[in-house]
Amino acid sequence: MRCASIRRRLSAWMDGGLSPAAARAVSAHLDTCEACARRLAELRGVSELLGELPRLEAPESIAQDVLTRLEVETRGPGLGMLLRRFGAARPFIMPSLVPAALVLVTVLSAALALDSGDRTRLPGSIASWGVIPARGTESNPVFPSAGVGLPRERDGGRLDEEVLLAGFGGGTLFVETVVARDGTVSTVTVLEGDAERAGPLLDALRQQRYEPARYRGRPVAISLYRLISHTDVSLPKI
Amino acid sequence: MSVGEIPLEAAGRATGRAADVVLVARCRRGEPEAFSRLVALHEGMVFNLAARLLGDGEEARDVAQNVFLHVYRKLGQFEGRSTLRTWIYRITVNQCHNRRRWWKRRHKDKEEPLDDLATGPNAVFLADRRPESSPYDQTRRSERARRVQRALLQLSFDHRAVVVLFEIEGQSCAAIADALGIATGTVKSRLARAREALRKRLSDVVGEDGQS
Ligand SMILES: [Zn+2]
Repeated sequence: MRCASIRRRLSAWMDGGLSPAAARAVSAHLDTCEACARRLAELRGVSELLGELPRLEAPESIAQDVLTRLEVETRGPGLGMLLRRFGAARPFIMPSLVPAALVLVTVLSAALALDSGDRTRLPGSIASWGVIPARGTESNPVFPSAGVGLPRERDGGRLDEEVLLAGFGGGTLFVETVVARDGTVSTVTVLEGDAERAGPLLDALRQQRYEPARYRGRPVAISLYRLISHTDVSLPKI
Repeated sequence: MSVGEIPLEAAGRATGRAADVVLVARCRRGEPEAFSRLVALHEGMVFNLAARLLGDGEEARDVAQNVFLHVYRKLGQFEGRSTLRTWIYRITVNQCHNRRRWWKRRHKDKEEPLDDLATGPNAVFLADRRPESSPYDQTRRSERARRVQRALLQLSFDHRAVVVLFEIEGQSCAAIADALGIATGTVKSRLARAREALRKRLSDVVGEDGQS
């Protein structure tokens, strides 16, 4: 290749963005052509100059100004409308979390396979959860909180561990299950991960049966979240 | 197999995408702490990017505020297909682009680029993490940074956005393509042209001693 066509490729070559054959041709040329090798060194120098530019920081935090401006809006009708719209934007609604609050995320991990922990064990400080509105319909389920009795998997409705291991392709899945008032699963939504590969697992999740969750004694629909991962998860201290 | 239950927040730390989804959902529920956290997590990156794209600290601050107001209003449209960071990059670049056009229309007479991020009334704090270096080194470094910033501002906005996202923000070509809504091949060719233009403009700085 001639120098001109080599030089056009140097940028991509630097980033490893060339095909193996093209990369080899550039490398071979660089071994023999001093001018192109110098050009490469200069381009690398440019990268270094940019990389060593200091991070610029605002003199004061931007967050406070933004929140102040939002608060001003909140007092008008604008934000109320917004929040109502968010409220309608299911199924993205997620558990309300006070700092270090506990929400039902279940980590199913092959790395923990030898541990026979209790599946329905509830996290400790449920009392720290905030108050939630008494809704809990299928289209607008509530989230685990202080006032909500959590749904329990019924015998026979439990997840089969083999299904879990076989049905889930790998990587990480973040799944929301909406348990309806009668304890059946009304929806299973993959919030993150490869839904197609996890088909059998999702089917199994849809087949689950629960004792309904209760809020003030009444059965309500509830959202459960599971982070399912084959990777070893170290449980952070709270 | 067994099941361990961990707080969602802790789970959020385990994978970035899940953390994004959770944070956005909490914001949508109208939790002020969640939105504060979103801003706190991203404001440094937004400000730095805006300052590098605009060359002006005051403008960058203003843009950063607008970026987060925009983020708040459009949270309903965030679908989790890109990362939150990529989505915010996109908003930041768009806001800077609009600002730049507006600024150019208003200041047609002034050809001088805004390149002085470190001095004057628009001063911003330069996060120099090397307090051990001598005043001489610091001076040379900040002079070099000024030269590089000026060279950046001489690029077209499109080229500048790509090179800043790649070289300064450390984003991959694919992530930049996603953020800017252009093809990966376009990112690569803009990056190559931007680097070449910078190489020419900075030829005397590139070989300088002390560039470590
Ligand atoms: Zn050559």
